[in-house]
Amino acid sequence: MPLTKEQYKAFEDVVGAENITDDKAIMPAYYNTDFAAIILPKDTAEVQACIKLCNKFKRQFRPICTGWSGMFPKDLILLDLRRLNKISENNEQNMYAVVEPYVISAELQAELMKRGFNFCIKGAGTNCSAMLRGHGHLDQTTSGDDRNHLAIEWVTPEGEIVKSGALGSADEWFCGDGPGPSIRAILTSAVPPGVTPGVFTKAAVKLYHWPGPAAYPIQGHSPKYTLKEIPANMMARYYSFPSVEKMWNAEIKLGENEICYELMGFNAAMVACNITTCNEEEEGVFAKMNKEVQGPGFFVIIAGNSREDFEFKKKVLEQIVKDNDGISLKTVEDPEIEGILLCQCTRISASIRETFRAGGAFNSIPIMGQRDLTIKWAIGAGKAKEPLIEKGLIVDDGGAFFGWGVEQGHLGKTEIFCKFDPQNPVAKKAVETWQKEQTERAFKESYFASTMGSQDEVGPALGNYHLWWQKIIKAIDPNGVSPEGGALV
Amino acid sequence: MSLEQYKGDMEMCCRCSTCKFIPMQKIQGSDFSYVCPSIAKYNFHAYSAGGRMNIGAAALKNGMNYTPKLLDVVYNCQMCGACGVSCNYAMDMEVLEPISEFRMKCIEDGKTNPALDKVIAGLKKTGSMVPVKGKRGAWATGLKLKDATKVKVDVLYHVGCLSSYDPEMQKLAKSIARILQKAGVNFGILGDAEMCCGGRAYQMGYKDAFLAQAKKTMAQIKKAGVKTLVTGCADGYQTFKVLYDRFNLKGGLEVLHITEYIDRLIKEGKLKPKKKVEMNVTYHDPCRLGRLGEPWIHWEGKKIPGDRFVFDPPKEYRRGTKGIYQPPRDVIKSIPGVKLTEMTRIMEYSWCCGAGGGVNESNPDFAVWTAQKRIEEAVSTGAEALVSACPWCEKTLNEAIKASGSSLKVYDIVELVERAI
Repeated sequence: MPLTKEQYKAFEDVVGAENITDDKAIMPAYYNTDFAAIILPKDTAEVQACIKLCNKFKRQFRPICTGWSGMFPKDLILLDLRRLNKISENNEQNMYAVVEPYVISAELQAELMKRGFNFCIKGAGTNCSAMLRGHGHLDQTTSGDDRNHLAIEWVTPEGEIVKSGALGSADEWFCGDGPGPSIRAILTSAVPPGVTPGVFTKAAVKLYHWPGPAAYPIQGHSPKYTLKEIPANMMARYYSFPSVEKMWNAEIKLGENEICYELMGFNAAMVACNITTCNEEEEGVFAKMNKEVQGPGFFVIIAGNSREDFEFKKKVLEQIVKDNDGISLKTVEDPEIEGILLCQCTRISASIRETFRAGGAFNSIPIMGQRDLTIKWAIGAGKAKEPLIEKGLIVDDGGAFFGWGVEQGHLGKTEIFCKFDPQNPVAKKAVETWQKEQTERAFKESYFASTMGSQDEVGPALGNYHLWWQKIIKAIDPNGVSPEGGALV
Repeated sequence: MSLEQYKGDMEMCCRCSTCKFIPMQKIQGSDFSYVCPSIAKYNFHAYSAGGRMNIGAAALKNGMNYTPKLLDVVYNCQMCGACGVSCNYAMDMEVLEPISEFRMKCIEDGKTNPALDKVIAGLKKTGSMVPVKGKRGAWATGLKLKDATKVKVDVLYHVGCLSSYDPEMQKLAKSIARILQKAGVNFGILGDAEMCCGGRAYQMGYKDAFLAQAKKTMAQIKKAGVKTLVTGCADGYQTFKVLYDRFNLKGGLEVLHITEYIDRLIKEGKLKPKKKVEMNVTYHDPCRLGRLGEPWIHWEGKKIPGDRFVFDPPKEYRRGTKGIYQPPRDVIKSIPGVKLTEMTRIMEYSWCCGAGGGVNESNPDFAVWTAQKRIEEAVSTGAEALVSACPWCEKTLNEAIKASGSSLKVYDIVELVERAI
């Protein structure tokens, strides 16, 4: 149902006439649905006022940030957070930065690099919100998920402002759980169906030491930016191994020795995506690299704090690789390619090449857990991709999976996806079926319980979390105005 | 071409928002990270390239849904092409082309902008994109330039509408003429007979008006029998070099921007900038000399059925890689005493001056707002002057300076060169 004139006027009074629209013609820019209105609040107070009006008028809302295309029901009020785009604070002493939702990771990271810091950028890419919760290429040293949200400002579905951690404190002390009883689990529950309702308007993200340059010495023109030189005490390599077991063992050893700034379990196809500038080139490079690798592998960045530190890390790396019969991919040893990967994989600027460029879409199954276990499942999921590849329904990536160590490898992320043309209904259906079957297999064969699966089946295996979550939602969103909330990308 | 032909490109948009920003690796902080003036000012996603692509894809599916807001989106775009550069770092898809086709479709359907209609009516009547005051060639009085309609010359200097008629911009035409004279170039102008290249009509979406004008202008150039055309206007440069080639009008004509030509003359020793010009400057890349000035790539083909967005024959995209970036910089660096400091947004990801796509005429406030953002960026470098290579840029940037009260000076490269020789 469209907004009444009175309702529209009430929202307009909050944000101003130029920051609200119910014009149907421009709504496909966001999603092909009839939103009741699209609203551009400028700050927390305006978000709060809008949410209070949503409660008053019993209108459902959802926030949106930089992208992607989501699923939005009809008649929803869309809160586009684009005007909340400020870095509020860079606290070098306590190593956190406070950002609004529309600060993208590239902006925050560039500011941090100048100051000798970095933060966890999510694998979705540096074009996404710096507030985004998730995992990414830098997890080996920066961890991921809720470890990095030290504090959050949250406008609840009823319009109350809740501040946790530093943002809720009177002094500089901060903690992701305080003050008062911890609500971290609720605030950071971003996995369906437990996407936190309401709107996150600020987050204090944890900062980490950055041993690299204040800015990369980039040369050339898009789409091929290269480095004038490899920054001092930095190195990028790709190693392949004769077996998954050897690769995994090397990963564990590298983690134990804490020498890798980044350990990204790319497959050859993903390296090919990163270093090529178009689809045709990517196909050729992948075919070449596929012959060059001896088996599964990973991409590593070493970053030393001094020459001595760098030499030590390099020596340990080479020893561990040798002990596990790994070989370095010659293609990546080329300084031009090494430079491209160093920059892209620390600035996380080529995720779209890895995912969307080939066909326009991808469906993924991401899993957190013990890498050795999840890799075993992923090998099966990769085999199940092969018929789809043979039929030309998905992009040929050798059926490979990828993943990376988290916090020096005591945890890990494994992921496998199919890239396809979303305009091809046969391909779309085949990929959805693959995704469903492999998720179900993971549960039945006791690898993991994905919350993307059937809640009635998975929930009981996870302490009936879904029932608890439903109760929490009922308590914090009594008017049911926030069907899905805080997911920010 | 038609909007339908870009269906696949528009459907490829994953709404990642990179089109709003300069290429991710080039972002140096929270300042000057945006590349699209339209989304930076108007905020609704519809004003970004991604939004425009998604609206275009929906229009092909459900039909055009004309509303005042949609037309506001359509006409508040400088067609500067920066979105495409950022997108095409990672994606293989056309961006500016479908946006341009969407605007042309609006015009075909009669959903025009009155301010732009007026400009096009003027073009059809007078052969000029700007109001005609006096004779077109009057600026050249006293310069003793050759009339290329009467005598054979090696090089034709095509002056362009703004430098011909705008009293404040005629200085650029005069500077160029004097520089070419000093270098001993056998050049001429068409004088009162010169006509508009038509390029700005194309940017505005009036393809038919552009083609009609382009045919007349090219016939005149052919009649003059010149092999080389030099222009001081970035819009003119892109029109002659890229659009005329695209529509098979250009033939073998060599098209050079004045900065390319001066660079060549300096390197050949025919021009020697010797006099010191003590000045700290920064350089603004005009969109149509830079990213949109790269050559047209003639291509026809079909998508290969299957998993990837690839074509037979393979399609090479224009990603801004081969624009004219170095010659103007080399010219600036050749002037003794001039110190060049770069801004954040340069070359293929340069921020637009605001004048393109008809915005200068349809929404001058937006044009000036866009230019003001550029002035702020130029000031942040510590430069005392912003140097560009297009009269449209200089005019708009100067208007922004007047509006903001900045003490920054704006020059065209030719003004500095003339001082130095």
